[in-house]
Amino acid sequence: MNSLQIFVLVLAALFILLLPFSRTIAFKYGRFVLLLFVGTVMLMPFVWLICSAFKSTDAMSQYSFLPPVSKISSETINLGNFHTLLAPESTVQGPVTFWRYLTNSLFLASTLTIVSLFFSSLGGYALAKHRFAGRNLFMIYMLASMTIPGVVLLAPNFAVIWRLGWMDTYKALIVPGAVGAFGIFLFRQAMLSVPNELIEAARIDGCSEFRIYLQLIMPLVRPMSGAFCLISFMGAWNAFLAPNIFLQSQSKLTLPVVLNQYMGTYVQHYGVFLAGTLLAMIPPAILFFSLQKEFISGLTSGAVKQ
Amino acid sequence: MKFPYGPAPLAILIIAVLTGIALAVWGPLSHAPDYRPPDLVLATFVPEQAEVYHNAIPEFEKQNNCKIEIELVDQNALQSRLQSALQVGADVPDMVELMYGTMGVFTKGPLEDVGLVDLTDKIKASGLYDRLVTNRLSKWSSRGHVFALPHDVHPVLLCYRRDLMEQLGIDINKLTTWEEFSRVGREVVKKTMRPDGVPEHYMIDMQSDGNDTLILLLLQHGVGLFDAAGNVTFDSPAALDVVCWYVKQVEGPTRISFPCGEGQNFAKAMIDGLCLFYFCPDWRANRIELEIPSLSGKLALMPMPAWEPGGLRTSTWGGAGLAFTKQCRNFDLAWKLAMYLYYDRAQLGPRYAVTHILPPLKSAWDLPQLSESSPFYSNQSLGKVYSAMAPFVPEEHDFAYNTIANGKLSEAFTNASYYYKVHGEDGLREYARAELKRCADHVRLVMARNVFLKPQPAQVSEASGK
Amino acid sequence: MSESSIAKRAPIGWRLRSRSTPYVFLFPYVAINLVFFLLPLIYATVLAFYQTNGPARRAYVGWSNFTFVLKDADFHKALWNTTIFAIFSIGLQLPLSLGLAMLLNAKNDRFKGIFRLAIFAPNLVGQVFVGVIFSVLFTPRYGLFNRGLQALTGWGLEQQWLGDSKLVMPAIIIAAMWMYVGFNMIYFLAALQNVDQNLIEAAKIDGAGPGNIFLNVIVPAIAPVATFVVVTSTIGSYQLFELPYNMLKNNGGGYGPSNSGLTIVGYLYQNAFTNGDLGTGAAVGWLLTFIILIISLVQIRIVGSVGSEI
Repeated sequence: MNSLQIFVLVLAALFILLLPFSRTIAFKYGRFVLLLFVGTVMLMPFVWLICSAFKSTDAMSQYSFLPPVSKISSETINLGNFHTLLAPESTVQGPVTFWRYLTNSLFLASTLTIVSLFFSSLGGYALAKHRFAGRNLFMIYMLASMTIPGVVLLAPNFAVIWRLGWMDTYKALIVPGAVGAFGIFLFRQAMLSVPNELIEAARIDGCSEFRIYLQLIMPLVRPMSGAFCLISFMGAWNAFLAPNIFLQSQSKLTLPVVLNQYMGTYVQHYGVFLAGTLLAMIPPAILFFSLQKEFISGLTSGAVKQ
Repeated sequence: MKFPYGPAPLAILIIAVLTGIALAVWGPLSHAPDYRPPDLVLATFVPEQAEVYHNAIPEFEKQNNCKIEIELVDQNALQSRLQSALQVGADVPDMVELMYGTMGVFTKGPLEDVGLVDLTDKIKASGLYDRLVTNRLSKWSSRGHVFALPHDVHPVLLCYRRDLMEQLGIDINKLTTWEEFSRVGREVVKKTMRPDGVPEHYMIDMQSDGNDTLILLLLQHGVGLFDAAGNVTFDSPAALDVVCWYVKQVEGPTRISFPCGEGQNFAKAMIDGLCLFYFCPDWRANRIELEIPSLSGKLALMPMPAWEPGGLRTSTWGGAGLAFTKQCRNFDLAWKLAMYLYYDRAQLGPRYAVTHILPPLKSAWDLPQLSESSPFYSNQSLGKVYSAMAPFVPEEHDFAYNTIANGKLSEAFTNASYYYKVHGEDGLREYARAELKRCADHVRLVMARNVFLKPQPAQVSEASGK
Repeated sequence: MSESSIAKRAPIGWRLRSRSTPYVFLFPYVAINLVFFLLPLIYATVLAFYQTNGPARRAYVGWSNFTFVLKDADFHKALWNTTIFAIFSIGLQLPLSLGLAMLLNAKNDRFKGIFRLAIFAPNLVGQVFVGVIFSVLFTPRYGLFNRGLQALTGWGLEQQWLGDSKLVMPAIIIAAMWMYVGFNMIYFLAALQNVDQNLIEAAKIDGAGPGNIFLNVIVPAIAPVATFVVVTSTIGSYQLFELPYNMLKNNGGGYGPSNSGLTIVGYLYQNAFTNGDLGTGAAVGWLLTFIILIISLVQIRIVGSVGSEI
């Protein structure tokens, strides 16, 4: 029996001992221990990531996490990976730095998020609050379109992008992603809960349909907008397949594509790749923290109503 | 007026606008004032090679008054882009470096349909046949026609923990056949067995599901997945021998190998000496040196044991080749560029210093950069040890159905190794033979569906005679 | 539906104006869908009946792409693997997500935000990192997962998760659990916030046990979200590709030893891109769509009521 097993047994024994005294305290304790366990398991890869990003190549190959305290020095733990990552790369388009890729990624992810937020909510409003011929058929078509795997359309889509002359432009990524079935459905669900009387009153006041959408509906489903932004931003931020195929100039590439270049076929610069992964996590993490509350209450207002 | 979508979308909108402005100010770098559209675009999937080419290009541009662009693209992306582009007839780069095993997709139809330029006559006319390691051209050929220039030879040696050899009393000079190698391996495993039932040392790092290491052993024994005419050959008697031997090294009481994997865990296995020997083509030797600096001076390289006394003591693993697409805007310039980057002695020295990959051009093997001794590998000269084996690398044939054949061979192998684990040696050979046959037949079935290759068998065997 | 009553009561001018509105508002979706989805889809559908080789050469092969795929043992294996995966993600991962959501739904907990972030964190990183981390986790002797398992249970140190055809699917299921449990948890968390606390209190006063409260108060309240999650998870599970492909890069070229980690989309990719047979790939795509649609419709029917709401 090793120390870890003993530790687990002690934790379990504590729970059983607490039970006769107070069920509430016992369950609170049990919940905390359980969450701590799950949290540790979930975060373990990130602990590894953080340790690895700061290790020298040598330390990386010798220790899973940090070297023992006696071995910690600027030889084993340093910012070398970050220096390599942030150093300008010489390309045909002149020197390009990490900051350029970061800006590219931020621009693409935020533009895509805003554009699809606008069009998806607009479409959602039409589906939720307007009756028109073929609406049900349209909804079924949208559901069916979600079931087609993207890989099937890779080659034909390539042809379309090429015919449009959009290779190596951001248009190739922004336009096809500007609005999708998933977003429209999400907003439709949220908007179903808006009372019809409000819309009717606005119409009688002479508001245009667009003004009703913008100034009446959107503020009411604001939490859903936050939720949708998080989902879309995350998707665009980590997107790999499409940017990898459609972007060509080194100076236009996004972070996931550039980081992948450090994991070459012959030589793999794990340390630099992991340092880059660590930096690339920061923007979506900030977004998650700032949107957490909106995200959670946002889905509530949408999905629960029927 | 309040922003109707809420504060978070407003923040994202502001980011979008700010980064948009930043990108506009920064300028689309591709149109700097002195920008001139390139005369040729060369796409590669290897970052180190892109770097070498970047450094070599300015001189070539000056000499030929032209503009060359090197594009670095992820291998999978390059492949899907090229395939999609050739499928729909879209623009492709003028020259492309292809990874081994990926060219077959482009050559699965009639020869005139291949989207790459047939280089056979050009190679013959320029005398390259004699100047290169000839066997290497097989990898980039289909039905006797060459479609790409080999970038490398990638002979395989064994890399071993020299410091542990003495400790364990192993004489590497006696390890000349796989039979002897296995016998010594079993001794090592027995000698270093720990109380918990696992040994301290295994003899060799081998993938437990076959794949690359199994295939390189097949090649060493003179069989590949396909022969020159494109017939499936991995159910031949020679292949059966290799599979049966391999099974015994990775399973059961005769096991001498451990799958060390890649990256950090591979490094740890090497540092611990978990395995004593590692299959090591030139590219891997470079990678080990870069990834595990702490092993400096403890490693050395030796030829692989042979299948029979006096047999071939090397194989090949991996590779890249330079192809010219049919849309190439200026073939003569492109060919000149290829000769400059690939087969110009003056360029190959600096290239070797960065990549440590042996060029297939025989006359480059005496370059000073190649004979430098490497302190990391116990002062051996990598250039010398690899070039000593390079002329003997076996032929290897690429075909559209490579991946599927690879998967099917691995399936037969995995089943055989499971059989050995459960039933031992009794009936292993018969079982493995039947499994290999079944899997090879599946590949044949898939190939028979190709309506474009059907009417050609006669022409195929004739062309392969060369 | 109450919308119809508005239309009736609204003045005639508004009715005319709002009649064209939905078409205008849905126009961007329709236009984009037409160019980047329907058009390519039609092309892919035509391809399913052809064999192609480059832009110039194609041969009509009728239904042979479909019959080949339906008879192919690899497709059967891919279908089996994917179905096993879907069953586990619905049967194991979703209940786990719900359980975590219930644990994290407590009020007055200072650590709530951190635990939520911890469980959501895998969504912050890209697929390439996922491939790297799982090769670090799942290797025999050195893998962190193997070592953790060994320390806890005394078994597992030398297991070759990604190199043993019997352990590949379990490894993929574990990896997917890590990847997606947080995302689904957020959905359930949202749903749980809509459960009426007064109802729970009332049930407690009536003497209902925790099991009873869960079945009679919580389940009805979260049913619509649960349906949504089950249907989208099923679609997602059947489209599984990137995760195993990245995990198994060094094992069977992305499909695991003996194709033990082959999924339907993986099989599609193998046919369309590595074999260069776009026609067969398109045929697989259609078969997959057919399978998903049937399952989704059955699921929606089983849960009933929800209908076109999802």
